[in-house]
Amino acid sequence: MRVQCLQENLARALSLVSRAVAPRTATLPVLTHVLLATDNGRLKVAATNLEVGVVYWIGAKVESDGAITVPARTLSELVTLLPADKVDLELNVRTQTLRVQCGRTDTTIKGIDAQEFPIIPSPGEQPLARISGSALKKLISQVVFAAATDESRPALTGVLTKLDGERIIMVATDGFRLSKREEKLLEAITSDAPVTMLIPAKALQEVSRVIESEEDVVFIHLTASHGQAMFQTPRANVVAQLIDQKFPPWEAIVPQRYETRVTINAAEMLKACRQASIFARESADMVRLGIHVGEDLEPGKVTVSARADETGENCSELEAITSGKSMEIGFNVRYLIEGISAADSPQVVMDLIQPRSPAVLRAIGDEHYLHIIMPMNLPGSNPT
Amino acid sequence: MGIHILPDTVVARIAAGEVVERPASVVKELVENAIDAGADDIRVECLESGKRLIRVTDNGSGIRADEAALAFQHHATSKLRDAEDLSHIRSLGFRGEALASIAAVSQVTCVTRHREENSGTLLRLDGGKITHQERVGRPPGTTVTVEHLFAHVPARLKFLKSNQTERSHIDNLVTRYALAYPHIRFTLIHEGRVYFQSAGSGQLRDVLVAAFGGEEAAQMVPIASDPLATITVSGFASLPSLDHANRSRILLFVNGRPVQDTRLAFAVIQAYHTLLTTGRYPVAVVLVQLPPEEVDVNVHPAKAEVRFRDADAVFSAVQRSVRRALLDHLQPPEAPSALPEAWRAQLAATSPAAPTDAQPASPLQPQAQPPIPGSERWERVGIARQSSSGRWSLPAAPAPPSPAASSSSLPALRILGQLATTYILAEGPEGLYLIDQHAAHERILWERAMAQLDLGQVPSQALLDPIPVTVPVSSAHLLETHLETLRAIGFEIERFGNNTFLVRSVPAIMFQDDIAAAIREIVADLEEGDAVLQRDVEAKVLRRVCKRMAIKAGRVLSLAEMQALVRDLEQCESPRTCPHGRPTMIHISVATLANEFKR
Repeated sequence: MRVQCLQENLARALSLVSRAVAPRTATLPVLTHVLLATDNGRLKVAATNLEVGVVYWIGAKVESDGAITVPARTLSELVTLLPADKVDLELNVRTQTLRVQCGRTDTTIKGIDAQEFPIIPSPGEQPLARISGSALKKLISQVVFAAATDESRPALTGVLTKLDGERIIMVATDGFRLSKREEKLLEAITSDAPVTMLIPAKALQEVSRVIESEEDVVFIHLTASHGQAMFQTPRANVVAQLIDQKFPPWEAIVPQRYETRVTINAAEMLKACRQASIFARESADMVRLGIHVGEDLEPGKVTVSARADETGENCSELEAITSGKSMEIGFNVRYLIEGISAADSPQVVMDLIQPRSPAVLRAIGDEHYLHIIMPMNLPGSNPT
Repeated sequence: MGIHILPDTVVARIAAGEVVERPASVVKELVENAIDAGADDIRVECLESGKRLIRVTDNGSGIRADEAALAFQHHATSKLRDAEDLSHIRSLGFRGEALASIAAVSQVTCVTRHREENSGTLLRLDGGKITHQERVGRPPGTTVTVEHLFAHVPARLKFLKSNQTERSHIDNLVTRYALAYPHIRFTLIHEGRVYFQSAGSGQLRDVLVAAFGGEEAAQMVPIASDPLATITVSGFASLPSLDHANRSRILLFVNGRPVQDTRLAFAVIQAYHTLLTTGRYPVAVVLVQLPPEEVDVNVHPAKAEVRFRDADAVFSAVQRSVRRALLDHLQPPEAPSALPEAWRAQLAATSPAAPTDAQPASPLQPQAQPPIPGSERWERVGIARQSSSGRWSLPAAPAPPSPAASSSSLPALRILGQLATTYILAEGPEGLYLIDQHAAHERILWERAMAQLDLGQVPSQALLDPIPVTVPVSSAHLLETHLETLRAIGFEIERFGNNTFLVRSVPAIMFQDDIAAAIREIVADLEEGDAVLQRDVEAKVLRRVCKRMAIKAGRVLSLAEMQALVRDLEQCESPRTCPHGRPTMIHISVATLANEFKR
């Protein structure tokens, strides 16, 4: 293998695949490596930890074909320090070493035979669906954060992704809050029946990272065995091992009615929540929202307060459009901040039933976003 | 065989069997008599662990010559007059059984002289019958010699244990009484050699030194309670640095009477809650005083057990007093050594927060205190060591020092790094501290949760979708009975079918956990339970929750995380042990390092 490419392209490729590299404690040493291979006149850079695989192609001048794996960390640490210049990669097949030449630097890195690298499935002929990159990126950013980060309930580490006709719906929950968004596909899916997949949240984060331009179109594929999903952009392919678990029946959780409806300015609310969060640290991040429904012509208001025995207390008052009955309810402020930020809208609506029932957050002007947060309570206090 | 009345000799022996079980019982009865007689010098001599001879000599009031023979009759006593007196017994004995019972199973020689009489009396009895009586001379007091115990009762003789065992019973007994009566000088002699002697100085500390040795006595702190309360508690309790494998070293006395009471012993153990590792028990001498009518001593033949009118009040008085003694003494101030002086200079130069010499009025400045004897050894065990020199580095805040600040027993620590992704290495004014990140975090979470529980405000986070948990059928009822208690700490659980429960909310700190597994662990904890009070159950469950949520060993921590952790630990009341009693840190002093490097 003899290849020439630009340092900045190689650095970018290595950075994009880096999160799919297995940690150094991995049992299979080759998983801590990146694969470098020539592919139809381009250079393919790939990494996988067997749950997520990321492949990225960069333009290169290929003089002779070949493939090698080298330690991911070593190579990317080196490449980031190389001058912005042409990089020559040359494989010595006999010793399985990669020679990296750039400017006046000359390096050789010991590698492992590319044959040992797991095969990352490549997309089939017929994609399942097509979606615009910007839509997918927004979808992921509004949903993925709500997935569980610990492994105790594996189903919750995944994002439920449903492709149905021209729609794609993503739902994630960690058991305390749930985020849902739907988007339109560019065209109806090629499958007759709706397709439902449970994709690891980590894999979707990688998908988001490889969408480089708003105009990119992403092809979604499903392997024949339905074991893996693939997201293909013009320069990258992310392969995700699907989670073989049952996602909780989320539709039953969405409340169908409300007693109190509040419409607030998202930016003001976020500021109030961030202030309160300083004082909520001692009490497991709990803040109280007081919703005061105005009588007659009086405007409604919302108070956000938190109290810490050792630090002090904080209370902010916001103007709001309120209807229904006044109420006091407690929330984990982190969930509020994340849910409201993800709404990505100047105004948000919150629908409440009572202090022990789920609250629903929606974005004004974007009916595709839905967020549910379970309240917090103090067992000593009486629900009002 | 028809029914008939037993002859007197048989009746006497049966009765004796209740009171006199082994040589130690004889010693007990005779020592109690001596104490009741107002003696302040009691001498116990034994040959062959009391099997051949027991002699108890006192300088008490003695017995009048004309009453001496009567004393060996059944139900003969000077301590009780009528049934009314039984309800407020102030003496150790009261039944009038002891001497008669002893005499029934041995050969007894009694030499006594009443304080107000000119000559004494010598009585010799064999099998309960007086065989000899004469007038003799001796100083006031009584000597009772018991020989050939159980010679007439071969069955009992056969059941006696080895000399070693019988002797340890006698040793335990005499030391117990010596502890209960520090103003009496006790001398214990085996085979002519003095094995134990208390000073009779009236100071319990002196008896402790004699009974337990100076090293252990130095690790025990006095217990004190409100002297005006109806129930007063005094004595000594071990610091967490001194423990024992079983409960046998928790010595309990009620109105000067050694008693065995599992509940009271448990009260003492409870006071060490979170300070001792599971399976280790404290060493304690606990003297409870309460009005005689509040306690019934007439429930056990050997008077080893008593019954309280208000057992809960006694229980909580003991627990509170011992706990307070521990908390007060876990941070004994001591004189600043030369080393922290050097540190002070260094820190003042590097840290703007450190008070300088220009602020001598700071209440946080160390004050010269007399060094505590034995404190050098405490340093090794680390628990008891609290140096006021550790406080100088607290910023001299304009606010008066809060109780939290003054009880902080950790000096300011500078993080050096993480070891084996499990321990935080920190440098303090007195050397190196190795902090177990899991145990430390557990302690922080636990104290925070307990503080919230005290306020009745444990935040609870509702679950979007209730989680079903199946517990073993045998535990279902147990879990159900504790649902209310669990609710108080944030678990909202309801029964859902036979042994399935639905979890609707969890304590807010459990935001990342396998809830079903946690509930099953909690149920297992409850099953083990010897927790009596609701509060104990709550504490137990919270301990489990905190253990699960504390950062695990093996997690890489950033410097900022470690700093936050140590800062939070400094705020804790008992930063040196985790809620399960394991140490959170090991301290290696500069002196130890210098020693190891042979500098």
